[in-house]
Amino acid sequence: MSAVLAILRAGPLTTIQDEGRFGMLRHGISASGPMDRGAFEQAGRSGRGGIEMTRAGIEFRVASGQCQIGFAGGDFTITINGAPAQWLGMARLGAGDVVSITPGAWGNYGYLRFDTDLMAEAIMGSIATSSRARLGGVNGRPLQVGDVLELAEQGTATKSAAPAHTAEGPLRIVWGLHADLFEPLQRQKFLEASFDISSSMDRMGVRLNDSCCVFAGTNILSLASDAIVPGDVQILGDGTPIVLMRDHQPTGGYPRIATIITADLDRFAQLRPGTAIAFTPVTVEHAQDLLRSRR
Amino acid sequence: MSGLNPPTNPTPTLVPLGDSALLVRFGNSLTDAANGAAIGLARLLDSDPPAGALEIVPNLISVLVRFDPLQTSAQTIAGEVRLRLLGHESHRAETREWSIAVAFDGPDLSDVATAFGMTAEAFIAAHNRGSLRVLATGFAPGFVYCGLHPNELTLPRRPTVRPSVPPGSVLFAAGQTAITATEMPTGWHIIGHTDFANFDPTASPPTRLEPGDQVRFMVAP
Repeated sequence: MSAVLAILRAGPLTTIQDEGRFGMLRHGISASGPMDRGAFEQAGRSGRGGIEMTRAGIEFRVASGQCQIGFAGGDFTITINGAPAQWLGMARLGAGDVVSITPGAWGNYGYLRFDTDLMAEAIMGSIATSSRARLGGVNGRPLQVGDVLELAEQGTATKSAAPAHTAEGPLRIVWGLHADLFEPLQRQKFLEASFDISSSMDRMGVRLNDSCCVFAGTNILSLASDAIVPGDVQILGDGTPIVLMRDHQPTGGYPRIATIITADLDRFAQLRPGTAIAFTPVTVEHAQDLLRSRR
Repeated sequence: MSGLNPPTNPTPTLVPLGDSALLVRFGNSLTDAANGAAIGLARLLDSDPPAGALEIVPNLISVLVRFDPLQTSAQTIAGEVRLRLLGHESHRAETREWSIAVAFDGPDLSDVATAFGMTAEAFIAAHNRGSLRVLATGFAPGFVYCGLHPNELTLPRRPTVRPSVPPGSVLFAAGQTAITATEMPTGWHIIGHTDFANFDPTASPPTRLEPGDQVRFMVAP
């Protein structure tokens, strides 16, 4: 089966993603890939790649052919030819069918996947769109109205790599590369304080509102630029905390107090602006056990 | 310049970065010895990667080892890294040499020269005198840090950031010369530009310069 999809509406940060462009950090390129890896897998694994949509949603028409779609991630409202369908789920589509997805009660990112491969030019082995490096997807840019996407005849099944969503509660962190540069009292306040997700968020990072002023006046200067990993909690020169996400810069010179563990990063990515969050420390061993116990 | 072998000093610190990576750091600040040790260890690990390692990344003063937490652990990787540091033979990879032609016409060139009490011509001559090591690739695709210049040729960054400079910009700050390969913001001084393109997303590998390579800058004819 194969199909051609015509994009009728797309939010400003709707991108094509696959598992990620790994192995390129030494060339100055971070891996990208889904903001919510678990939801990306939940949407389907029989065809390579998929569409990551933001709260603005997406609308498309099957211009020709037929395909099966799977959809997951957060809560969205989906209609097929105007008839509501249940989110998370799957559907079989034929030529002329129109799918419209609009925001629901929670979440920032939703995923659409297909029974066959999404056709896009692989750059360095991946079709994932990097908003930072402007690579992958459709000419390195987000999807826009008028784009036409083709699905292949065949699907390349992908294997599971992502952890499932975690429970509620504080976001679990391991102490970061520069935790020892923060005063013990400040580290304590970091754990006791509540932060808010700000509206300044994208695939590169999520700024937090520090209304308890944990990091106001923090002044840690001249660090040698060093490796960044997704989930790093970086404190800017003006005291703003930023959680670095999938399109993070590969290296950076701002101090990082903590790293959100892999098992909690998908959940963090789905938190909307205004959500209050808190952090709790775990050991690296515990964080790894959580990943293993999920298999 | 010291060699690229991991020396017995500086002593590395091994720190987990999240739950799926280990960072091996050779100090807290950029020195020739720390950089040489990082490049040397990255080469050792490239030639003999620990089981479960997914990616080895040389940085300015550290090596990132990204691993599969389902196959191995930070502790196991740390043990493997220590074994390689202890048991290393005189592992000396080939050092490649590059000549890079630069048009020294950047908007900050005269300010930089003035800061050293030099004419532009004298600064260019001093800048090009020695060969520099490619210290690391980072920050952006194909962005390379080259250094280190001697102390008397060291200047802090500019107080303000330019929102966008084109690929091929030759930047100068903090004892280093850097070359941009993509359009990017920078707080470094722009001293010139080069036609040398270090990033081609369709090439394999996508960048040309590797950490440890020697670079000699020349005035473009």
